[in-house]
Amino acid sequence: MILAEFNPIKAVVAVPLFTFTVAGHTVVVSNHMLTVTIAALVLLIVLPIAMRKCTITPRGTHNAVEAICQYIREDIARPLLHEKTDAYIGYIWTIFFFILTMNLVSLVPTDSMVTLATGTESRFGGPVTANIWITGAMAFVSSVLVHVSGMRRQGVVRYFATLAPKVMWPLMPLLYLLEVVTVFMRPFTLAIRLFVNMVAGHVVLATIIGLILVFRSYVAATASVLAAAALSTLELLVAFLQAFIFMFLTTVYISFAVEPEH
Amino acid sequence: MIQMDLTSLVLAAEASGEAGDAVLGAVLGAVIGVGMVVIGAGLAISFIGSKALESIARQPESGGRIFPTMVIACALVEGIALFALLICFLVVYWFH
Repeated sequence: MILAEFNPIKAVVAVPLFTFTVAGHTVVVSNHMLTVTIAALVLLIVLPIAMRKCTITPRGTHNAVEAICQYIREDIARPLLHEKTDAYIGYIWTIFFFILTMNLVSLVPTDSMVTLATGTESRFGGPVTANIWITGAMAFVSSVLVHVSGMRRQGVVRYFATLAPKVMWPLMPLLYLLEVVTVFMRPFTLAIRLFVNMVAGHVVLATIIGLILVFRSYVAATASVLAAAALSTLELLVAFLQAFIFMFLTTVYISFAVEPEH
Repeated sequence: MIQMDLTSLVLAAEASGEAGDAVLGAVLGAVIGVGMVVIGAGLAISFIGSKALESIARQPESGGRIFPTMVIACALVEGIALFALLICFLVVYWFH
């Protein structure tokens, strides 16, 4: 991040990279859209290659992917979803690996590398999950899955009737209102949690690196680089954790919808 | 850093009169709000961590089930703290 001026917010915003026209409509491709495509291509290429050899004892990438999938299916999904695990496990695995790949790709500073290589300031790749539209889209898809699967399993009327647990009749309207508000807020909290974690991490990282510009001394530069390295390790943990939390909460919401709580 | 950005905002606000009062109030409120939220989040995560440590010390073989639960709870508390951070950012840049 070669900062001409000290603006850490610039590290996380999406900028348009190039435009192309298809069928009379102009499509603007931003750096975040490009990184999403790169993350999806990485997943589409790496995962089938890793899982191709079906050996009894897996090795290498196959082992890692299978260990993660096994842990998610047996220890996270099956205690919540019981016999309906296999219907939703594809989506749950996908959401975990996709968010994890996007978070990890966001940690690679491709914009700084391209800037150093070409000499002009470039914003080739940015922190992709630091884009509220991308996390919002995934949260929207998760919530649509939750409601549609709930309505399919229990019937539309019964799904809405059993949103709130049965309590004494004076309390029911208030409790039902509370449950409706909760159901409405869940996709927002899913999206915002992931978005703000990534934005906060990258803004603090950009701020610490930008302190080199503010102080302009070797001592400050050493301290900044060491602090940025330590913070990047924390960002690695946060990347895994936030992908896990998104996937875990999606599983919990699906279990609320398809398994009647009472 | 963020404090220096906000300080420059505050100085610009003081120089520009009445609209500047709104920016000054917004910035002050946002900064104090974030500080209070961080106190709450720090307390909550400390409670979670200490309870998890106590229960693992009582029964070491349950560590494999307690540790992921602690991590999930910490991430959810941190999510709440960062919601508040987001609102403070929105407030500052709305009034700017």
